[in-house]
Amino acid sequence: MFDLFREIFQTLSNNKMRTALTGLAVAWGIFMLIVLLGMSRGVYNGFASRMTIDNARSISVYGGFTTKAHKGYSDGRSIQLDRGDLGVIESENRYHVEQVIAVKTLDTARVSTPRDYISDKIYGHFPAELERARLKMISGRFLNDRDLDQKRKVIVIHEQNARTLFGDGTEAVGQSVSLLGLSWRVVGVYAHDWEKATYIPFTTAMFLSGNDNKISDMTVRIKNVKDEADGESVEKDIRSTLSRAHDFAPDDKSAVHIWNRFTSYLTQMTAMNILDYAVWVIGIFTLLSGIVGVSNIMFVSVRERVHELGVRRAIGAKPRSILIQIVTESVVITTLFGYVGVSLGMIVTGGIAYLTKDAPFLEDPTVDLSIAVKVTVVLILAGALAGLFPAIKATKVRPVEALRDE
Amino acid sequence: MQQSEEAILRLTDINKTYGGAVPLHVLKGINLEIRRGELVSIMGASGSGKSTLLNILGILDSYDSGEYYLNGVLVKDLTENRAAELRNRLIGFVFQSFNLISYKNAVENVALPLFYQGISRRKRNKLAMEQLERMGLGDRAHHLPGEMSGGQKQRVAIARALITNPAIILADEPTGALDSKTSRDVMATFRSLNDEGMTILIVTHDPGVGAQTDRIIRISDGLIVPDYEMKTQSGDV
Repeated sequence: MFDLFREIFQTLSNNKMRTALTGLAVAWGIFMLIVLLGMSRGVYNGFASRMTIDNARSISVYGGFTTKAHKGYSDGRSIQLDRGDLGVIESENRYHVEQVIAVKTLDTARVSTPRDYISDKIYGHFPAELERARLKMISGRFLNDRDLDQKRKVIVIHEQNARTLFGDGTEAVGQSVSLLGLSWRVVGVYAHDWEKATYIPFTTAMFLSGNDNKISDMTVRIKNVKDEADGESVEKDIRSTLSRAHDFAPDDKSAVHIWNRFTSYLTQMTAMNILDYAVWVIGIFTLLSGIVGVSNIMFVSVRERVHELGVRRAIGAKPRSILIQIVTESVVITTLFGYVGVSLGMIVTGGIAYLTKDAPFLEDPTVDLSIAVKVTVVLILAGALAGLFPAIKATKVRPVEALRDE
Repeated sequence: MQQSEEAILRLTDINKTYGGAVPLHVLKGINLEIRRGELVSIMGASGSGKSTLLNILGILDSYDSGEYYLNGVLVKDLTENRAAELRNRLIGFVFQSFNLISYKNAVENVALPLFYQGISRRKRNKLAMEQLERMGLGDRAHHLPGEMSGGQKQRVAIARALITNPAIILADEPTGALDSKTSRDVMATFRSLNDEGMTILIVTHDPGVGAQTDRIIRISDGLIVPDYEMKTQSGDV
């Protein structure tokens, strides 16, 4: 085997120009494949960093208007979700529902300190919001169960607001702010790219609005779901539970609006996979033009070497050894220059990764080892394919050629 | 099969016709026997069927009817692989234009037939070196063919023919591309190999070369010219 490679390297270095030109076509093809794969991976990573299967297992419900008359009520009625819905949904769908949390939105209010003030919407939330919204606590803590139980006057603010209110965000925790004429204690400061809301305990918010029981929206954390059908069936169950609680038709889609993160996550995953396949297909077709080039040049090479091949046949080379030699030669050229393309592609995607490291929809657009392995397989197959037909032609060279004068 | 002990090569009634619009009957029943240790030349004008005969003897081409025994093996209707194997083991070729591979040095050229026998590089280079030294080319071992004279190239080619220790050496116009002095050197090399017991068959149209062999076989119009006719014709050559 080592001997065969020695033979091949001798042949290739004997025709440096031809080898280099052939290689260029392959290197370009594989370079494009790597860059495309890197970009698609970047889009994928960007998606994956915002959405994981864990935080996708949730369904949000918002109140709407009915479009069908039902049980004596006319259509066009506004459906207002209330606090009681949380318990009903949980008790009627125990297998699929893990927890139901809700948001109580208060009107825009002024949060002030002696230093400065901010005007912002105030949200009453559950502790689980921390994980769902992927907030990053930079000091203090998020709301906890005891805050809700005791309807504490505690508040969690965004770091930017903390700087406005206290000058230095790190000193905010433990200090007081004034809101709606009451004094509140700051328990935590969080960081998030776009979410800048101000959070207070859900129960406190309910209390402040005079216990009207109305909630803005709720989020159901679901469990025991595997595929899209599971996700859709949970959605249907929730709708039907609410239809009984609020007397609207179970098939009235406008009565409550449901955002099923789980099914949209699965749909997006499917889209990502299609993107991945599409990139492979485009990349491989680009590579194909390189392969045709290799095949072409191998044909020329075989034609040029008819006399040499005849001599080899005359002194005892079997057709099979000629076939193996030409095919291996093609595989060596393809793989060698393929890796030149892979290396260049890695460098370029690395550069793109560096330049776009702050872009939200592209994250780490580089290729990993498993792709390198797949590309190796592709290269070897492509090289073998490119060499096959010229090699078959080479085996047709008759040893009598050796006797013909050049 | 009645076959004399020392016959290394025997042709019986070999016929060969090239097809085409007008079929060409090139060999019209060749009978030929070459004994072990002979130095024989085949002579004939161009178009006499000489080249076709050489191709058949070298297992480079097939024949239509008759029998060809080489070293006791019937050479007939062989697969490409079997033919390659027999050429590799039984026949050493020496060509008019040397047919060395231009990008391989002398040792690598000489060792090439052993590459196709799957012999290790170290061993075949050692054997190739021995053959080159035997040809007096030890100091040229790492030169490329382009860096050698015609005579040196032909001796490299002879070394390559000898390396598999073949039953017979087939030389096709081995001096055709050489000047007269170098031709004499190459013929002297063949003579000394023959003295060591090697069977050699030289195809030539040069009477000077023919005269240096033990026996001249003349071929004319697809047939071997019998010895008694040859004597009467010898004055014409």
